[in-house]
Amino acid sequence: MKLTRRMTLAAFAGVLALGTAAPAFAADLIAIITPSHDNPFFKAEAVGAEAKAKELGYEALVLVHDDDANKQSQLIDTVIGRGAKAIILDNAGADATVAAVQKAKDAGIPSFLIDREINATGVAVAQIVSNNYQGAQLGAQEFVKLMGEKGNFVELVGKESDTNAGIRSKGYHDVIDDYPDLKMVAQQSANWSQTEAYSKMESILQANPDIKGVISGNDTMAMGAYAALAAANRKDVIVVGFDGSNDVRDSITSGGIKATVLQPAYAQAQMAVEQANDFIKNKKSPEKEKQLMDCVLINGDNAAKLETFALKN
Amino acid sequence: MLSKPTWPIKATWPILALVAGIGLSACKILPTPSAQGVAGNASGFNPDKMVEEIWASKVIPYLQEKAGPFAEVHALAKTDQAAAGAKYGNPKKQANSPWTFAVRFEGKIVAANTQSRAATMDIDVDGDGKADARVQIGPAMRGTALRDSLDFVQFNDFTNQIDFAQFGKAFNAYADKTVLSKLPREALEGRTAKVLGAYTIEGGQDLPLVTPAEAEIGPKP
Repeated sequence: MKLTRRMTLAAFAGVLALGTAAPAFAADLIAIITPSHDNPFFKAEAVGAEAKAKELGYEALVLVHDDDANKQSQLIDTVIGRGAKAIILDNAGADATVAAVQKAKDAGIPSFLIDREINATGVAVAQIVSNNYQGAQLGAQEFVKLMGEKGNFVELVGKESDTNAGIRSKGYHDVIDDYPDLKMVAQQSANWSQTEAYSKMESILQANPDIKGVISGNDTMAMGAYAALAAANRKDVIVVGFDGSNDVRDSITSGGIKATVLQPAYAQAQMAVEQANDFIKNKKSPEKEKQLMDCVLINGDNAAKLETFALKN
Repeated sequence: MLSKPTWPIKATWPILALVAGIGLSACKILPTPSAQGVAGNASGFNPDKMVEEIWASKVIPYLQEKAGPFAEVHALAKTDQAAAGAKYGNPKKQANSPWTFAVRFEGKIVAANTQSRAATMDIDVDGDGKADARVQIGPAMRGTALRDSLDFVQFNDFTNQIDFAQFGKAFNAYADKTVLSKLPREALEGRTAKVLGAYTIEGGQDLPLVTPAEAEIGPKP
């Protein structure tokens, strides 16, 4: 955190030194804050937002909060110190983030949320989120079909602090629970992590060798689970993920994982920057704060068209 | 549970507001933050009750007025989705959601899948012997077409996407409970069917998937 503080101080010093005489040609700054880029989904968001910001003539400050609400709060301080004109944020918790976004608002910096909702309206200017519930229903419907509406299955759930982990799980069960012959024999969180999913899957498989399918809250956990199943010579088990990553695309086209659900991460991040630009330049807020983007089912039929969280025509 | 006697009283306000068609933003109930950090039904949100209260008074009259004959709706939907959506659906829908259309038709059942819990029947509407639409007859149903066809239901009137989704599912559940579960399941092919419902344009569908709000099946031929 020392580095952050030093950056903040440096920024303050800069602001003090320049005062109102800042050169007119200095590009306005847009901050882009997401969870760790270890997950290619968040990286795609950051890359998409940064590209759009530069295209529109802004300087971009890309930061990661690692799903730590305290770190997120410190990053918001940094961004305030740097005098950013807008914040693009994939947040670190639906409740914890409200205060951080309010802090930015109080400092005159508008926030444009992507991917995850917060439990308040009127604080951020926009919340552009994937319709995770609709996406989960799509994934679950495909899973039910692949399972032939019966058999034992496992659910891998995401990180509890992330709203979308709960939303997806509810969406899955909204569909699956209509089929009494589908029996969930284990439900565990692997915290969105591939390695954790691998080890959890290994032990679940030992206790439940008779499973027919695994439905996973995201693609990295689906990759981990499938690797564990393959290592145990159980490639027959049906695995379905969520996100639409290139890794899972490649697994689908080579006959491994059966399906995933695409969230338009790249387009969503770009849309947020466009709305920020409209707000900065024209003082115009989007018509609706909460904006849903529908997800798309990816399976053997269309996986080949998937590239970096976008479907090509 | 003893500490929560006030919830049902509070919960009637958004319902009344919805029935009266008053903008909901002024009386939105924010959920109590739950231990899981997931916004859910902590506010006493009761989608089934909300749907039950508007079904006969608003939903059916709306669909009866808005629905177009299948051939007309589908022809326009294929050429100009936005025009079809404005005419037969909700022009104020979320910009990135697909269009949904209210539709009515009568035709002959040419195929049925009652083995699946997501049972369907395929209807020939234009009399050429080929199926034109696939009608969901439950008990499991896909999508939220009924909700999405209504111009008085907007996502921004809900606390979050969970509430919005469960409201959508409540329409399907209500249709199943009051209409679809009473339909015959045996020897459907060759019978006539009459449907008032809605469908959403989606990629990768071989037939438009219609969710009925009203459905009748004629006697065996």
